[in-house]
Amino acid sequence: MGELTPVQAARLEERRKRFRSFPFFLKIAVLIAFLLTPFLFPSFKTVDFMLKIMIFTVLVASFDILLGYTGILSFGHVMFFGIGAYSVAMLIGKYGSPTYVNLVIGFMIAMGMTSAIALLVSFLSLRVRAIFFAMVTLAIAEFAIILATKLSGFTGGEDGITVNMPGIFKVSFTAGTLLGIEITGRIVTYYLIFLICLALFLLMVRFIHSPLGRVMQAIRDNEPRAEAIGYKTFAFKTSSICFGCLVATILGGLYVMWVGYANPESVLGIPIMLDVLLMVIVGGMGTLYGGLAGAAFLKFAHTFLPDLQKVTKSLFPDAVFLHAIMERWLLIFGILFILVVFFFPKGIIGTLQEYLRGTGFKKPARSAREG
Amino acid sequence: MAGEILKRKGREIVIFSALLLGLLPLAGMDIKTYLTLTIAGFAMGMMLFLVASGLSLIFGLMDVINFAHGVCFAWGAYVAFSVFRYFKKLVEAESLFQNSLVFIIAIVAAILVVGIVGIIVERVLIRRVYGSHLFQILITFGGMVVLTELIRILWGPNDEVMPVPVTFRGNWDIFDIIVLKYPIIAIVLGLFVFGVIQIVLKKTKVGKIVRAGVEDPVMVQAMGHNIYLLFTAVFAVGAGLAAVGGMAMAVFNLQVYPGMGDAYLIFAFIVVIIGGLGSITGSLVGALIVGLSYNYVAFLLPPIAVGVNILIMVVILLIRPTGLFPAGK
Amino acid sequence: MDKAILKVEGVNTYIGQHHILQGVSFEAAADHVTVLLGRNGAGKSTTLKTIMGLLPTSVGKIYYQGKEIQNRKPYEIARMGIGFVPEHMGIFSSLTVEENMQVAMLKEDSETGKRLEMILEMFEALKKFWRMKAGNLSGGQKQMLAIARAIVNDISLLLIDEPTKGLAPIIVNALIDVIHQIKQHTVIILVEQNFYMASSVGDAFYILDDGIVVHSGKMAELVEDKALQGKYLGISKTEG
Repeated sequence: MGELTPVQAARLEERRKRFRSFPFFLKIAVLIAFLLTPFLFPSFKTVDFMLKIMIFTVLVASFDILLGYTGILSFGHVMFFGIGAYSVAMLIGKYGSPTYVNLVIGFMIAMGMTSAIALLVSFLSLRVRAIFFAMVTLAIAEFAIILATKLSGFTGGEDGITVNMPGIFKVSFTAGTLLGIEITGRIVTYYLIFLICLALFLLMVRFIHSPLGRVMQAIRDNEPRAEAIGYKTFAFKTSSICFGCLVATILGGLYVMWVGYANPESVLGIPIMLDVLLMVIVGGMGTLYGGLAGAAFLKFAHTFLPDLQKVTKSLFPDAVFLHAIMERWLLIFGILFILVVFFFPKGIIGTLQEYLRGTGFKKPARSAREG
Repeated sequence: MAGEILKRKGREIVIFSALLLGLLPLAGMDIKTYLTLTIAGFAMGMMLFLVASGLSLIFGLMDVINFAHGVCFAWGAYVAFSVFRYFKKLVEAESLFQNSLVFIIAIVAAILVVGIVGIIVERVLIRRVYGSHLFQILITFGGMVVLTELIRILWGPNDEVMPVPVTFRGNWDIFDIIVLKYPIIAIVLGLFVFGVIQIVLKKTKVGKIVRAGVEDPVMVQAMGHNIYLLFTAVFAVGAGLAAVGGMAMAVFNLQVYPGMGDAYLIFAFIVVIIGGLGSITGSLVGALIVGLSYNYVAFLLPPIAVGVNILIMVVILLIRPTGLFPAGK
Repeated sequence: MDKAILKVEGVNTYIGQHHILQGVSFEAAADHVTVLLGRNGAGKSTTLKTIMGLLPTSVGKIYYQGKEIQNRKPYEIARMGIGFVPEHMGIFSSLTVEENMQVAMLKEDSETGKRLEMILEMFEALKKFWRMKAGNLSGGQKQMLAIARAIVNDISLLLIDEPTKGLAPIIVNALIDVIHQIKQHTVIILVEQNFYMASSVGDAFYILDDGIVVHSGKMAELVEDKALQGKYLGISKTEG
């Protein structure tokens, strides 16, 4: 065995440290929490809650690959989620029948479509400035929603498509009991989704830390320089975009498998895109795990805000204006969002990472505009 | 060889093909419909111009993406709505003078209120995120949500019917063609605003400084001008313009609803991208293109009307990423 | 020696992470043309930009006519009577020559009017192309316009950054005449890589290298000292 180069030695040391650090244990804890949820908290509401957090975590992470690691803001990300959802829904629902084969075909078709569109999208990003790109993706996303709604013959319009799952994923399926919990189709689906989400997430982490991923970050930080060094930035950007979009597509299909329907509002809507954006910022851009923090934070907020409203009402029964404001939880959200962007631009995870590194947190550097 | 011709006669070719495309819809409809749609298209174009010109100028001068621009549009509409409600008598009077008076009051009120909102937004939110497009998008996006919700709080979450001054309603009958009165008024208003903007930009010192700033804001500063004050002023003016556009659109569509800013924001972006950043003429041309094509296609093939605009935008981005009339950036 | 119009003391400037100026100190004396020399990347342009307030300085002071001006806003500094001709000239291409001058003029009084007249006498091309879009001017004419804009106001100090860059020798000579005229009533700090230009108009010099001043003195001495020229300015012994 030969001597290690300095880089190899550093990496080996890094790896050794990683498996013994606090963040690592935290991640394992979270993993175990997701794994055991159906057994610890068998109520459907909780399982549903956790599953949605799972899916959104990975979705936000895939968005972060584009935004935080490649430096590309695309408002069309949820559209790819929708493509996966609708494709699967159509193959096992409207235009096919609930079979395993159709399920797989649904995923395949979706991934094919996504690859094609993602290629077009990345070509566009090459031609235009970042801001134009963002606006164009926004316009295209809106257009996709309009298409889905208007072409009701094809897509089921506003009501969308409802499906039944095949075989062991069927809601009514049972396989006896294990540890006191009945193994229904739901549980099977939960674990399948859990496994795939985990796999996708690990894949993304691997991607980030791979040489390819590092080139991506070089491109994000200083593209002309990366090009000057000799990297074909276009190829790298394209692979990054395609990867992120494909993950989103797969998640869309998984989502349909769980909720059993696909309609414009739940898989394509702009509010979902905004949710994802909010989650990425709150969680932390450029840190895949931010997706977890962001998704959890938002889902908690969604679920418990109505309760907060009730509490405020009972504590201050006469403050009508306060009621009005609480009613418009979106307003609070908006203000919260602005505050987070101002004071915690690195998000929860990002700020935590800096804190753990001992550098304390800084406000974003405002670059002087130079002549 | 073809490339040479294209370069030299480029402008003429574009204008020629534009005219050709403009007359194309005639193939699918009779001339009366064509004229009605054309007028509607021009009117919509003018209103889009009002919204887009502010956006274009703000981006051209300050390099700031403002997602909250659409909300200024909505606020303008709502302020006018309140003015019309308050001065009910003037709105319902049969006198052109009184109608025009209340219309002008509404315009002034809209510009003032939204202008002030614009100044507050610029100083509180935008100033902190100069230089980072991403954060501008995020911040102005948050601002958009907050301001939209404020509309819902102040005016209620429902759609409301927009009162229209009596003499502005109805139509004229010209050679058997029904010409609605209001679109013409909107077109005239739009052209008037365009004229005023051009005069200010070309003839006044401030206008020249703004144009210089669009090209090189740092140099303008180094020459002794307080660029930050200029930014705030331009932002407020841009917001005011959007407000007038919103008001005009509300009267056109006879309704106001809290989310009206969002829909038109997309249109405004499309117009700015097609027309070129920082160019008022570009905004006008882009707005007319969008307005006309939307109306024609909406009549011929309703579902893809928005899609056509997006298509045009993408095509133009691919051929000329800086838009039709880039302003020196 | 007369009191210095401009004093720069220990100025440190960062551009992003890069520590460009590492403690620059020099003086620009009245009635002098002070030339900043040095290789590419030595920090000459950065120095001018820092004086002008276009770049923030973390450590150090800049005194203009006795007042501290470091880290003030550029437009305040300009209004205090400092003119700036940047490296890229900063011409507003879509504006006409006339409009460029109008944007430059901070006051509309008779003094400015007289100065404008004098400037147009000096730069005939500008008079000729008064209504033309500035973007259509030739390189040399653009440089003239850039200088004209900077001196039309009542300034005491003029900062010029590499005016001869990319210009033909005959234009360079014209520029030399112009600088000679301006220096009669304005203090000039000139950044130049073109030694011919520098030595023709300069009175005092400072050589910058790696963000600090490594040498200074009278221009006349530098012209004689070929060894020094070779060491810091990369001028080979066969050149002059």
